[in-house]
Amino acid sequence: MKFGNLLKKELRELITKQALISMVFTMALLIFMGQIMGGAMEEGFDTSKITLCNQDDSQFTAGILKKIEASKATEINYVTFESDDYAAEMERLDIKNAVIIPKGYGESITEKKEPALIKFVSKMQAGGITSSISTVSGADVIDEIQNVCMNEVMSGNYGLTDSDIALIREPMTTVEYTVNNGKTAQVSASALGAITMMQSMIAPFAIFFLLLMASQMIMTAISTEKIDKTLETLLSAPVSRMTVLSAKMVAAVITALMNALFMIVGFAFYMMGMMGSATAEMSTAVNGIDSSVMTEGVTNIGQAMADLGLSLTPLSYVLFAVQLFFTVAIGLSVSLILGAMATDIKSVQTLVMPIMIAVMIPFFITMFMDVNSMSAVFKFVVYAIPFTHTYTALSNLMNGNMLVFWGGLVYQIIFFAVCMFLAVRMFTTDKLFTMSFSTGSAAKKRGKKSLPNEQ
Amino acid sequence: MASVLEVRGLSKKYPKKDVLAADGVSFSVDEGEIFALIGPNGAGKTTTIRMISTLIQPTGGDAVVAGHSVVKEPDKVRENITYLPDEAGAYKTMTGINYLEFMASLFAKDKDELDKYVERGKAICGLEDRLSDKIGGYSRGMIRKLLLARAVMTEPKLAIMDEATSGLDVINALEIRKMIKALAKEHHMAFLLSSHNMLEIEYVSDRVGIMTGGKLMAVGRIGELKERYEAANLEEVFERVVKNNEVR
Repeated sequence: MKFGNLLKKELRELITKQALISMVFTMALLIFMGQIMGGAMEEGFDTSKITLCNQDDSQFTAGILKKIEASKATEINYVTFESDDYAAEMERLDIKNAVIIPKGYGESITEKKEPALIKFVSKMQAGGITSSISTVSGADVIDEIQNVCMNEVMSGNYGLTDSDIALIREPMTTVEYTVNNGKTAQVSASALGAITMMQSMIAPFAIFFLLLMASQMIMTAISTEKIDKTLETLLSAPVSRMTVLSAKMVAAVITALMNALFMIVGFAFYMMGMMGSATAEMSTAVNGIDSSVMTEGVTNIGQAMADLGLSLTPLSYVLFAVQLFFTVAIGLSVSLILGAMATDIKSVQTLVMPIMIAVMIPFFITMFMDVNSMSAVFKFVVYAIPFTHTYTALSNLMNGNMLVFWGGLVYQIIFFAVCMFLAVRMFTTDKLFTMSFSTGSAAKKRGKKSLPNEQ
Repeated sequence: MASVLEVRGLSKKYPKKDVLAADGVSFSVDEGEIFALIGPNGAGKTTTIRMISTLIQPTGGDAVVAGHSVVKEPDKVRENITYLPDEAGAYKTMTGINYLEFMASLFAKDKDELDKYVERGKAICGLEDRLSDKIGGYSRGMIRKLLLARAVMTEPKLAIMDEATSGLDVINALEIRKMIKALAKEHHMAFLLSSHNMLEIEYVSDRVGIMTGGKLMAVGRIGELKERYEAANLEEVFERVVKNNEVR
């Protein structure tokens, strides 16, 4: 009952209304950003609608446009520009972009036999990414017209058949194979790379936040109690110190998991928004040009990953979860020791630094480099940071580097045992009240008053 | 009367310090008695109180609370005491009533006992409607009243209070002093107080112990001490004890 009440109290301290709002806000922000990016990309890659101003009355142009319309892949919205003041015309017609086929387009190709002029006008968008995408979009629309135009020229000017044209346009088909761990699968390495990158970014991102959140929480929980002297009141009540300690740690883990969950849901949406179109592109790369088999494409990539031993088995997930547990446990026990040393809020901020550095260094190193391929000394230093093993766990499990994985896990367990021993020792002895770390100004201030624990 | 607290040669040496923060301190507090420890800053009052509250461990001697040693049975000691530190705060995210309930839950054996403690706490603190507000919005005086109510609502055998009335205005401080006296007299609770306020000590306590340099230099009833040191009031007693110690 006492543990339950203590846990409830700790959770109430950690999960405040403000904390919940910030969690939801972060998630919403990420989802929103993902949608904006996804929306912008979809809009950008959407070649199914063209706003077109045809100023050429030639038969050739009419034929091309009819072909484009007949393909039913593209819908043409015809507009008429009354002047060359594009800004005014775009404003009047309320359009974002338009393709202009100027007078003499058909004549240039059929009579003069020289490249014709085509214009593409687009309105500058406010956002950086959307503006760059609208340029891509323009290029795609013009590509579409150019394709139809090319077919027309080849069949009209040179009398080629449809199959001749198809052969000229695509004289070969590339089939890509990727080799990993002595296994081969029919898949493009770049498509796989993009997918594994997505996977290897989400997991470390979650670990990074989980660790920082949990560490900061337990540190604040302990130091605030110490600074406000509520800890003295609590520890003089008939409740064992281990119960107080475990309630704090469990509450920090629960809150950290909650935070990580909100964060990851948001991040997953963000990545989905960002990568949605990229995945479609990837599947096309695997299956050929037909983008209607996108779902099948994704399944094929999944199959290819399994064939290459790159997918995770249920056992791998369990092992990863065990490692994640010890990672958080190490973070919590170290933070507990550091938090108990704080004598004011300023010193809490300073004391968080060692944890932040230990979490950030391996996060960035593993994101940009393969630790296993580093020089021996550097590898030793990086692996000495216990959190490195968590960041590399997924890739070690995927690539079957089981010796490195188990070594890392054993190292983490030993590291945790030592930290926990020190934390429990500190918490159950005088050290909790006598250990201190304070910033210069705070020490000066207290110096005038004399230290309470030295009275 | 039976003694609730027996302090026997209690000493404390902090690591890396040459002198003892508490040096062979011995005194006793009886049931229903109010005992005050007074002394200048750094005299060892808080160290002594923290050892009796089981927060830090003595390096020598022992203190026995209601028959339980602080060294051997700290858990049993905690069942019989409450401790109110100087300048203590309360959990800002809780309401006053939540705080009383939470603290009562650590002492109560069942729901009935818990309700009894909380009701008593509510009555003692006198915060009435404000009890349903978050503690974050309380004034220092309100927090002190809440903490005092918390410290006595469980009617412990020994209530230990460091600067019990600090942060309270004259009227509130007076009320608290009266309350302490009444609880000692009617409910036979023993109090171990520590204070700089000589007037308060003179008014509220039955006996005082004067500490300086980690040692308990004088113990006795206020009248006895005044006589022994030929002083008009406790302040003069205090001054003479401290100065005598400095001369030596």
